[in-house]
Amino acid sequence: MIQSESHRGMKVIGIILIVYAALVATHEGEFWPFSIYPMFSQAGNPWTRAMVTDVTNLPDNELWIRTPLHQKAGTAVPVNQYGVDQIDFSNFVSKTDEWTESRINAMHTMFGAENIGNNRWMVSKVHGRMVGADSVTVEIEPLILLTEEGAFLNPTFR
Amino acid sequence: MNDSWHGRIGHNLFEPDRNITTGELIFFKLFELFVAYYTIRFVWEWAIYTQLRNVEVVLPLGLANYMDASLFFDHHIAPALAAVVTFLVVLCFFRLGPKWLYMVVLFLFHLLYVIRFSQGEIPHSQNLIGMSVLCFAVGAWFFSGKDRMPRFVLGSVIFFIGLGYTAAFFSKLIGTGIHWFDGRHLWLWISEKSVDILSRDGFYQPNFLQQLALNSTAVASVILLIGWFTELIGFTMWWKKLRPYTTTLLILMHFGITMVMNIRFDAFVIQLILVGYPWYLLLDRFIKVPPPWLKKIV
Repeated sequence: MIQSESHRGMKVIGIILIVYAALVATHEGEFWPFSIYPMFSQAGNPWTRAMVTDVTNLPDNELWIRTPLHQKAGTAVPVNQYGVDQIDFSNFVSKTDEWTESRINAMHTMFGAENIGNNRWMVSKVHGRMVGADSVTVEIEPLILLTEEGAFLNPTFR
Repeated sequence: MNDSWHGRIGHNLFEPDRNITTGELIFFKLFELFVAYYTIRFVWEWAIYTQLRNVEVVLPLGLANYMDASLFFDHHIAPALAAVVTFLVVLCFFRLGPKWLYMVVLFLFHLLYVIRFSQGEIPHSQNLIGMSVLCFAVGAWFFSGKDRMPRFVLGSVIFFIGLGYTAAFFSKLIGTGIHWFDGRHLWLWISEKSVDILSRDGFYQPNFLQQLALNSTAVASVILLIGWFTELIGFTMWWKKLRPYTTTLLILMHFGITMVMNIRFDAFVIQLILVGYPWYLLLDRFIKVPPPWLKKIV
């Protein structure tokens, strides 16, 4: 490479940067592989994730109770073991505002009736936030009950 | 040498005064092999997951804003696209086909990304490989030939890596403010990741560094501050004399993130190791004469 080509190289990088800026400006900051949102750019915000617990042995009247995570009823179901991507699952749950029949049934499809078998699994939202000057609270909110027969939304969400 | 600021940066990135060496050409093909491997690996991971799991479009990204990504969820369309990408990457690697073929790879790579990640998550761990494919696409088209393409591709990859880290520093400053390094923010992230791990694996146990951070806001703040400062100086990779030192700090930062946040950046770290150090000097010590096949595939 000679000097003039080095100069041309910088010009081409400049053009790529212009294209980069134009694409992210018109696509809410994301046009893969271009992005203006690095990880962890917004700190301190409350978050919502999702998890599944095995509530087979829990009485029906305790199924929908919101509790701190460390007091959760039932053991965690490892979603990875059933071929479900935790990040996708978590985003599907946390970013869904309206739980239509199609969305509720998608949860059942995601885990599969054959995997649920005779168990009862609870899909829950998990909320975390900073409290006061020196602590973080994490709460688990039951959302959808999965059984071999189907998926059932928390009655308070209807 | 051009004395303008961009001329000096270009001089450090593309090193126009230095003759191309055998070691450099071999290293360039090894780097291309690394990018080709991850490109093929990612497209197949995305395609198989799409075929098995994608149900409904939750979040349209990129080109998915202009078409229905769910059309690609069934009938093995995504695996078929992955097969096409694989074939094209092999052609590109051996410099068979037109100069713009890498652009087609980039387009299909983007397409598979927006199909796979229409489920709500916007991951960034594949961005560096995507940017590298872009640099190969531009390099193959506008800087073809053994004297120009390796220099442009590696120089532009280094430019975008450095820019990306420094931009990340300013994003945090703008997105949160000067108190971004408040240790309680790290507590919140650790608790968030702990839920992901508990959900993924069924159990979670904090490691030593996480316990240390969770026991003291001061320790947590220092951890964040070191990482944040390291991002700020990312652009110093553009200067070839500083590059190995900056790269080492960035690699250490990624190991720190892995320890504290349980997030691995394998492709990122391997790429940093590859482009951040002058490996061609080592190769030049052992290989003096270029193998006859090398010129044909550079």
